[in-house]
This record gives sequence, C-alpha cells and structure tokens, in this order.
Amino acid sequence: MRRSVVVTGAGVLSPLADSPAGLHAALCAGESGFKEIELFPLDGLSGNGSGPRRAGEIRPFEPRDYLGERNLRPIDRTSRLLLAAAQRALDESGWTPELRAEREVGLMLGTVFCSVKTIAEFDRRGLQLGPSHVSPLDFANSVINAAAGQAAIWHGLRGVNSTISAGEASGLLAIAGGTSQIRGGHADALLAGGAEELCFESFLGHLRAGRLCGPDDPLPFDARRGGFALAEGAALLLLEEAAEAAARGARVFAEVLGHGSAFDPLETADGAAQAVARAVRIALDDAGITSGDLDAVSVSASGSVAVDRAEAAGLAAALGASGAGVPVTAIKSMLGEALGASGGFQAVAMLGTLGDGFLPGIRGLERTEEDFPLTGAGAGTRRVAVRRALLTALSADGHACAVVLGAPQ
Amino acid sequence: MEPRIAVTGLGLVTPIGVGREDVWNGLLAGRSGFAPVESFDTHRFNVHLGAEVRGFEPAPYARRLDPARLGRASQLAIAAARLALEDAGIDSGAVAPERAGVAMGTTSGEPREVERLDDRIQAGEVDRVGPEFLSLYPCHMIAAHVARELGFAGVNTMIPTACAAGNYALAHALDMLRAGRADLMLAGGADAFSRITYTGFARLGAIAPERCQPFDRNRKGMIPGEGAAVLVLEPLERALDRGARIYAELAGYGLSCDAHHMTAAHPEADGAARAMERALADVGAAPSEVSYVSAHGTGTPTNDRLEILAVKRVFGEAASGIPMSSIKSMIGHTMGAASAIEAAVCALAVAEDRIPPTMNMDDPEEGLDFVPNVARELPVRMAMNNAYAFGGNNASVILRKVGL
Repeated sequence: MRRSVVVTGAGVLSPLADSPAGLHAALCAGESGFKEIELFPLDGLSGNGSGPRRAGEIRPFEPRDYLGERNLRPIDRTSRLLLAAAQRALDESGWTPELRAEREVGLMLGTVFCSVKTIAEFDRRGLQLGPSHVSPLDFANSVINAAAGQAAIWHGLRGVNSTISAGEASGLLAIAGGTSQIRGGHADALLAGGAEELCFESFLGHLRAGRLCGPDDPLPFDARRGGFALAEGAALLLLEEAAEAAARGARVFAEVLGHGSAFDPLETADGAAQAVARAVRIALDDAGITSGDLDAVSVSASGSVAVDRAEAAGLAAALGASGAGVPVTAIKSMLGEALGASGGFQAVAMLGTLGDGFLPGIRGLERTEEDFPLTGAGAGTRRVAVRRALLTALSADGHACAVVLGAPQ
Repeated sequence: MEPRIAVTGLGLVTPIGVGREDVWNGLLAGRSGFAPVESFDTHRFNVHLGAEVRGFEPAPYARRLDPARLGRASQLAIAAARLALEDAGIDSGAVAPERAGVAMGTTSGEPREVERLDDRIQAGEVDRVGPEFLSLYPCHMIAAHVARELGFAGVNTMIPTACAAGNYALAHALDMLRAGRADLMLAGGADAFSRITYTGFARLGAIAPERCQPFDRNRKGMIPGEGAAVLVLEPLERALDRGARIYAELAGYGLSCDAHHMTAAHPEADGAARAMERALADVGAAPSEVSYVSAHGTGTPTNDRLEILAVKRVFGEAASGIPMSSIKSMIGHTMGAASAIEAAVCALAVAEDRIPPTMNMDDPEEGLDFVPNVARELPVRMAMNNAYAFGGNNASVILRKVGL
C-alpha cells in the first residue's frame, strides 16, 4: 500500500499577495502584479523605453513583518523570501517549533539561481578589493543550496533538505521530489516549493537572451505575446504523510495524487511538446486517473512565443479527446515568471481553486493563434467544481513536469 | 517490491586522471593531483595550490554538442557520462530515450560564466553581455547538456546541494529507479575550478598551503579541485539480463540537515550521524556490516574532528575496526563532484576488495583506522560513502556486493 501525501499548509510571498487566500483572491480578480522595477537601475538596459521596465517585484517587502527581530543581516533576499513563506506555511500547518524540535520536517526547494546577486557581488568584491576583503557570510550564501540551508537553520528543519534546479520547472519538480521522499518513507513531513529573487544579473541575462516582453504586460497564449516579465517570490506547500497528518488532527487542503517529469533533449518545439505530454501522462497514470477526470489545469505559460506553444501542444496531446475543453489558467499573466518560485505559485493558487471552485482567468488573453489547441483557456474567472487539478511546467531548456492535486477526501 | 539497483558503469574525470582504470590505479598508488593553480592568477592570495583537471579536451566526448558552447562543468560532466556508458557497455543510441534519465549534483554550476559576467560588469562592458550567460550559466544546464548530448528524454534533475551534491543525485536517481520511473539513470556530480570558490575558501582560511592531510593531527586544510563522475544505474534484473558487469548494488541512502550553521558542522555531529543511521535503516543493515567508510575528509581541522565523532556515534566500539579513508588527500575537494567520485570509488572497492589509502598521513588521529598511506586488500562487502555540505546538508549512501 503506497503512502499518501497530503497538503496541510501553504505559505506564499508573491507580487500580488503574501497569503494563499490573498493570492487566490487577487488572481480571481484579475489583478496585475507588475510594477516599475526599483530593485536595480535600468540605465542603458531598457532600450529607450521600448524594453521591459516592469516586473513582478515584491514591494514593499518587510521581512520583519514575518520573521520578527532575529538578526537578518546574514540572510539575502532569496532566503528572506523563503524564510517568510516557510514561516507562514509552518504556522498554518500547525508544525510548531516544539513539534519541529521533536520530529523532523524537511525542505525540498526549487530554485534556478538561489542568489546570483549574492554570488556575483561576492566575486566582484574580490576583484575590486582583493580576495582577503570578501565576506565569509557572503561566501556561505554563494552556494545554490544557501536558501534551503538558511531556512533549515532559521526554522529548525532537520529532515531531508534538498535543492532542485530545472529552470522554470524547478518548483514543480521540488513538489514531485518531496512527494517521492514521503512515499519512499524517507520523510513524513516537508516543505516543498520554490524561491527566487529579482536581481540585476538575472534580469540582464534574460534580457540579452531575448526572453523578456517589452514595456507592456505579458500575454500568455495570446497571439500578440512577445516574451515574459520576470518576477520573484517564494511559495511552499507543507507536504505530509496522510496518516501522520490525520493522527495529529491537521487540516488537509489537498492531496498530491501523482507526478511525472520528462525532458526534451532535441531542443525542438515538437520535442518540448512531447516532453510535456509524457510528463502529464506519467502524472495521470501515477494518480490512477485519466484526462477526463481533470477539472482544471494551471500551466506555466508565461508569454514566451515558443515555450507557450510547445506547452499548449503537449498538454492538448495528453488531454486528448476526453480531456479537451478542461478549463485552463495561466497565472503568469498576472504574476510573471518567478523562475524557481513559479511552480510553488501554481500549487498554492490551486489550493484556493480546490477550496472554493473559482479558477482565475488568463489576464489579457484576447486572441489565440489559429491552431491553438486548448479550448478551455479563457480570460475570465470561472466557477468550476474542482476535484482533481493538473499543474504543468515546461522550462525554456526542455524540462517538463506535471503534478496532480486532488481535493481533500 | 521495489527493484534492487545495480551500478554497472563508472565514468571519472579527476585531477589525477581520466577514466575508471586510470583513476583507480592512481588512487591505489597514492597519486597526487595538486599543483599551482593555472585557471586564474593567484598572486593576490596567500595560498596557490589547486587540484585542476589539466589538459582536458572535451572534443572526444562532446560529439553531438559543440564543446565551444558548453561551460566547463558541462564538458567535464559529458566526458564522465560518455565514459560511464562506455564502461557499462551501453550504446546511447540503443537506449529507450524516454526511460533514460540524468541526475547530477554540483556546488557552483558553471561558475566561470558568472565570473565572465563579473569581468564584463567590472570593465564597464555590460553592453557586451549576450545571450550566452543564460544559455551557459544556470546550474540545471549541466544535467540538460548531458541529456542533450546523449538524447536522454527521461527525468532530468540538477541537485545543487554543494559538497554533498553527488550523493544527493545518487539518492534521487535511486528514488526514480525504485519507483519505476526510469530504466537507466546516469547519476553523479560535476564542478569546474572556480575563482569564486577559491576566494571563499581562502577567506575562510580553509585551504592548505602545501598538501591535503585528512585526519592527520597536523592537517592544515582542504585543497579545492574540480572534476566529474557519473555512475550508470539500472535495475539489477535488467543488468543481469543483459549480462552486464555489476560493480555493486546501490543499496540505500540517508539524508539529513544540521539546521545549525551555514558553514560549520554541528558540534555534536548530530546531522551527520542521522544521515548514516538513516542510510543503514534504508538498507536494513547493522553498523557492523559496513566494511569500509569513504570519508568526506576534507582535511580541515574542525570538519575532520566532527566526522570522527559522527562515525564513533554511529558505529560505537566497532568504529576502530572499520577502515575509513579520504581520497581528498589525493584529488583534493572536487566540490559537487566529490561524493560522486567517492561513490564510484566505493563501487570499485566493493567490486575489487581493495580500498584506497588516506595519503599524507604522518601522525594520524587516534581511534579510527584511516588506512594511512598504503592501499589495502580486504573483503569489502558493504561500503558507506559520507558527504557533508554548506547549508548543513548531509548525505550518506551505501553500496554493497550484489550477492548479499
């Protein structure tokens, strides 16, 4: 008998809200999370106004509102976002500090860069002032598992602690990995999701790679789309073995029914679509359901011309005739592309839909391409009875992941 | 019933050699990989030694991908992956691509790419930064590049859990294979020699000036290195069916977190001990069944002391009778590759009943058998590979003879 995995809490720091309920409400209201970037100067980067100026920057962000008066100096922005989201998820789930001292809670964190700002500034300080003038604290934060380590220290998370990187699919892969850990008996409870900060180095990289949209908001799946807007944040689920959760009387928000992942080694549109289709099929099989059992889908489409198209094609192939028309949302139309945090955003947002049956629309979607295969994608927020929901992610580099969530039994 | 998982191929790219046979012979002979750093100018540092992979040419290995468009860690990883498949007698074209996956660990990903970015920013040449930064730098590109080179379309995961990352990747691959999510996994680690890493460890005063002496009373630190290792993992049944040479069974793992300090180990070695205990529980083995411990053994005064404490906590009175060595005394600390290389060494120890020494031992610490300076022949039924990392990430994996 396989161990079941349930969600007993969630925490989120996002451009739209700092609570799961707030995020769900903002998404259903069709709000935009984009602001003029203030975290770093855009001098010379924004192409005389035709380039991107806005992002899903979390502003204001006061870590002390979440974390109290303990010393935050050695903690960089990615870690602060993560610590805050973790605090909220632990609070909601009832995993008190006393309980965490007694029993182990783990962490599976998805991130692309952790903090490339910390890494690059550490390096540049060494270049400018010499190697003896760098800060040991900054070096400790320069590893890509730094945020997960800081969260473990801050919150006393002594269980399995891992960091997963798979581009824009990192967050869902972390949730999948956490589910595997619990099913395999390696953990009974862990936080799973992702974290990413908005910073100059990431922005510059994405800008020069031609992945960002212009000054207007991103338009996932719309024929007019021309790239995505970067964003930041952290989002975590508290995953727990079902019997353990029941034994301590925890409230259950959802069940993780299945997951699947695949990769496109060919770097072609068709290869990427096939990877998505395989990931979805594996996840449905793992959940013991078929595409006709799905009531809602949240995709990772962000406004990228090619990646959105491949995700739509792959999802449509896996849904087939029996799942055609299932309502589809793309919340990056409102939140932007938060890289490692994105999968966590999708998961936390879907908890709201599982709770009240409202699925956010795709903001700004007016006109899809002629052969666009997802008839269930629409601009308006809808009321749907959701018992089983699918989350999908496709990275620009070919990583596909799918997770099936179910309403609590 | 979960399938048992076999190790059937080993690919190694290290500071003391390339390829299973070369590296293994080097380790048994006590070969040293330390030399003055060539990757960058160290004149502003008070230490100068490193463990670089000298004269490495990616071209023979990167056949599908253009080596000029790969970061160095990806190049090292692809070489290790090609070598591992070849060692396993597997033609990548004959593998069902959807059932073949990649899990790799790293500390820094492709640090040279961010260093290149920093050089540009420093020189006021932000305009010269092109699309290459994003296509080369993010650490997930290492596993992606390996899969692209080989056409592997199954699960693809990068696990950047610093200096324990290789063991984490092996654990993740074991999860995937046990759950039937793949028929073949390439798992390991890769890291490129890095100015950032060297600067950081130099600032911490952790780099040894002349040689790396794990578990010696006069040890003065670690020596940063680079390298890659990939292990071919497949269900034992499949390996037996195809008549593969089986080095060992990857029998289980244990993960834990200190939740104590970013760079210093827990003062009572709590997390390290829990990882070992959990690995033993995963395998269903008693501590007394372990014949060899491959130590993390970086050579820094505190870490080695706490590692000895951790082993004594787990193995009790039996600890003094279980040989434990650190190959970092020869190849340095290859960061995210380290525990993958050490896991490959455990597989060889299990297969050949020989264990590599801890070199540079003049005055060993008391209480444990560190296999000082000379390789040893003895029956190795079960080997435990320990790794500890920044962030308090601890990972132990256990390999054993298939007959057990």
